[in-house]
Amino acid sequence: MKAISLEMYKLRHKHLFLMVTLFLSVEIAWVFMAVSMSISRNPDNTGWEPLIAMLSSLNGLFLPVLTAICVSRVCDMEHKGNTWKLLLTVSVRRSTLYAAKYISASVIMLTACLLQMLAIIAFGAVNGFEQPVPLLLLLRFLIGTVLTNMIITALQQWVSMAVKNQAFALCLGMVGGFIGMAADLLPQGVRRILVWSYYTGLSPVTQSYINDKVQFFARDMSSMLPVMALLIAAGICIYLAGSIHVSRQEV
Amino acid sequence: MNQIVSTHNLSKRYGDTYRVKSVNLSVNEGEIYGFLGPNGAGKSTTLKMILGLTRPTYGKVTVFGKELDENRHFILSQTGSLIESPSYYGHLTGLENMRVVQRLRNVPDKNVEEALKIVRLEKHKDKKAGQYSLGMKQRLGIAMALLSFPKLLVLDEPTNGLDPAGIGEIRELIKSLPQRYEMTVLISSHLLSEIEQMATSVGIINDGTMVFQGSMEDLQSKNRPTILIKTQNNKLAQELLYRKHFYHTQHEDFLVFEGLTDEQVAQVNRILVSSDVDVLRIEEHRKNLESIFLDMTGKESSL
Repeated sequence: MKAISLEMYKLRHKHLFLMVTLFLSVEIAWVFMAVSMSISRNPDNTGWEPLIAMLSSLNGLFLPVLTAICVSRVCDMEHKGNTWKLLLTVSVRRSTLYAAKYISASVIMLTACLLQMLAIIAFGAVNGFEQPVPLLLLLRFLIGTVLTNMIITALQQWVSMAVKNQAFALCLGMVGGFIGMAADLLPQGVRRILVWSYYTGLSPVTQSYINDKVQFFARDMSSMLPVMALLIAAGICIYLAGSIHVSRQEV
Repeated sequence: MNQIVSTHNLSKRYGDTYRVKSVNLSVNEGEIYGFLGPNGAGKSTTLKMILGLTRPTYGKVTVFGKELDENRHFILSQTGSLIESPSYYGHLTGLENMRVVQRLRNVPDKNVEEALKIVRLEKHKDKKAGQYSLGMKQRLGIAMALLSFPKLLVLDEPTNGLDPAGIGEIRELIKSLPQRYEMTVLISSHLLSEIEQMATSVGIINDGTMVFQGSMEDLQSKNRPTILIKTQNNKLAQELLYRKHFYHTQHEDFLVFEGLTDEQVAQVNRILVSSDVDVLRIEEHRKNLESIFLDMTGKESSL
């Protein structure tokens, strides 16, 4: 806890939460505009499902980039200020520091996801959706997004900590954003191994064209559980590999 | 006297090259130990191994009588350090940087104020560290090292980037630490003049190997004078003095004698004059510490 609160203290003057909020505002505004247009064309098709599906889809583009920026901001200060030596000589364990940074970055990204949820609920209320707020659906959306975020955070943190030049980490984030956006166009075998595809892959709502019309379906939760379990295992492996690799690097 | 730091055959190899080779360093309690060597001699690598930042290829480090490997946490809790360039968070103010270390060290607020006062940064504490000059960053680094007022202070070239007045201030500060706070100081530098003015013991390292270790007096005792004598007939003078067991070397037109006392110089003069060999000059040459250091390290150009 002490290490995490210290990480948060070190983030002072970085305006990270402001940056996250502004970045998300752009994404949310995009989603709301698209959904509003869809509602105005198709007044019968109002509901929570299109909103969640659209947000999941755009999360694939925005969140890998946002995660890359957040993680880079959290990790870069140790490279810039040459502070590894300072921390290690005051007996900070590298694995503890790695964990504290991971948790801090994950908390920031969790806040972003919660903001999205609040925005969805507010949009539904403003547009007078008839159905009640689908709490279970939103919870599943939150779990899927947070889980994917956490794995991408582990990957980004490995790169940001191991390579001083943050351009590599940010490039990876942008490549991830491209993959996340185009994931649904890729064959399933390829999609399975690309972690950025799980923003839509774990979305509780899916869409398909039936008789030239877009239809939205809620996915069956039980079919997603094994995928989630595999993702968690992959995330743990990436995190441990990064932590061990960074701990062994010479200062 | 208690040994605070000691290393046994400490070595570090990168590829096929030894950066540090079998260094046996010994720092006693209350000393200011000057660790001297030209650039790239292995000073920082040795200090990094003493602080556990770099793992030795072989050899042992003992600090406060305990082995570093098994007592890392205890040793580091009693040690303050500044290695190579200063470490700081550029986006935080000087005071916030101190607060980060304060949290890690669990020390009271008064330590922060005192450390900032010692390095004269109290007026600049609310300025972002990224906007500090190099000298101010160095001072901040020293303040962070002093924050817990540790028993052992390891400073790697702490006066880098400081102006002459700043160097003088830091020198006086370091000199006062053993008496004021009962600290032992291990300080590295490539400048002999800097070490000469504050150290009580010296270790000289060159190409990864320790070439001298001892007290400042030991080093100064190497500073023995040489007597140079020029005569009108050096060949005859050589024969005469050789017969009287005065052995010498020759340098240009001079006969060079090592370690002669005043009486022996007078005796040499008498022998020559009484044998009708005119003595043209008798000169005393004294090597300064700089020359001794250069002789030991053989690196005139890098200084």
